[in-house]
Amino acid sequence: MDGLQSLSNDLAAAVERGGRAVFSVAGRPRLASTGVHWRPGLVVTADHTVHADEDVTITGPDGRALTARVAGRDPTIDIAVLKVDAPGVPVADVADSQAVRVGHIVLALGAGPRASWGVVSSIGEGRRARGPAPELLHLDLTLYPGFSGGPLVDTQGRVVGINTSGASRHWHLAIPASAVNRVVDELMRRGHIPRAYLGVSTQPVRLPEPLRQRHGLDQPTAVIVVEVQPGSPAAAAGLLIGDVIVSLGANRITDPTDLKATLRPERVGESITASVLRGGEAKELQVTVGERPRRG
Amino acid sequence: MSAVIDIAALAEQLRRVTVEVTDGGELLGSGVLWPPGFVVTNAHVVRRREVALRLVDGRLVQARVLARDPDADLALLGVPGTGLPSATLAEPGSVRIGSFVAAVGHPLGVRGALTTGIVCAMGPIDRSGRPWIQADLRLAPGNSGGPLADAAGHVVGLNSRAAGPLALAVPMDQVKHFVRDARV
Repeated sequence: MDGLQSLSNDLAAAVERGGRAVFSVAGRPRLASTGVHWRPGLVVTADHTVHADEDVTITGPDGRALTARVAGRDPTIDIAVLKVDAPGVPVADVADSQAVRVGHIVLALGAGPRASWGVVSSIGEGRRARGPAPELLHLDLTLYPGFSGGPLVDTQGRVVGINTSGASRHWHLAIPASAVNRVVDELMRRGHIPRAYLGVSTQPVRLPEPLRQRHGLDQPTAVIVVEVQPGSPAAAAGLLIGDVIVSLGANRITDPTDLKATLRPERVGESITASVLRGGEAKELQVTVGERPRRG
Repeated sequence: MSAVIDIAALAEQLRRVTVEVTDGGELLGSGVLWPPGFVVTNAHVVRRREVALRLVDGRLVQARVLARDPDADLALLGVPGTGLPSATLAEPGSVRIGSFVAAVGHPLGVRGALTTGIVCAMGPIDRSGRPWIQADLRLAPGNSGGPLADAAGHVVGLNSRAAGPLALAVPMDQVKHFVRDARV
């Protein structure tokens, strides 16, 4: 058989295999999105496509409609995890997303099933393109309406990520499976997905050239603390109004979005080093990432 | 996957069975040489009784519209003379979601242009209930009536229109019914 024919068969088989674990998720008015049976009884989808927390109707590949509820959300990477009793629906074969390379052929699946194909065009954030998570997969393919929350699969039908248009027409992204696994692991360990926080309000601030030179900083901006909530992790660490946070752990902080992206759910309880400038002098503070108190 | 992927050969194979439908030098769309002695295209491509067809070798032949169904958006043209090649159709039911497809046509006047993609879905896109092969593949005006083919170059549908980045093709079994009902 010739190469094209065999590629074609591989692609069709990948859709069939990947499609077995795909749900249609009616979580918003009009346009249903897609979800993936990630672990037994847990369906992962795109957070921005599920508006309510209870009574979410999801339809399996066999056409059965089931009622799910939101077990946890991580809006920072646009992931929601639904709890559902779905006996008989296979769990997705989740691959190691670290093995994905730029140029790999991938397929985006929507409920139905529907499929589009393309290649991974880049991995990780661009210098200016600000995304909600590191290691994002940027895709050269079309995410058709309703594809958000669906699986990105390799040519063997193994799930390497969750697709999202990030509520924007111009983004064709996938959250890598490794990041989804971390969120799902947190959910299973704690029973909910915690929201990490420090308890500071910040604003972006430009770093004057002499200051950057003196401290060997190559970033043009950082964030300045404008509020420290009493009793918060930031207060306990001794952060003060006026402190300029330049990095948190290994992550450079150039604006408040960086701060948010660094505070991943799995970091709750972790002690990290905050590098700050106070009165022009460099200072390191140990801060323990806290969990934002839950409503209700 | 060690076998060679030869898309150029596939394109050549499809160009041989794809015609340019013209009227007084104006490009109207594309058409497929099938069945032998005939050409199928979209009804919206041919609005007159007679059109000129340009073959891949540059020859111009006159063709008469023998049947036209605007609802199905299909038309059948008779081509006089013999010796013209004829497209091979894919086996019924062989189209799978995800399988590779290629389109040849004359989008925006570019002769014999090839675009490739995969089958995105099959079935209706609206309440009309008309079934389509929905392909994740770019079409432009001038592609209408041209072939959508599988990896072997066997025709699976007639490209009819684009819905944004999605290509809509009339499945070949519909085309077969239309040709049979035309009773020519």
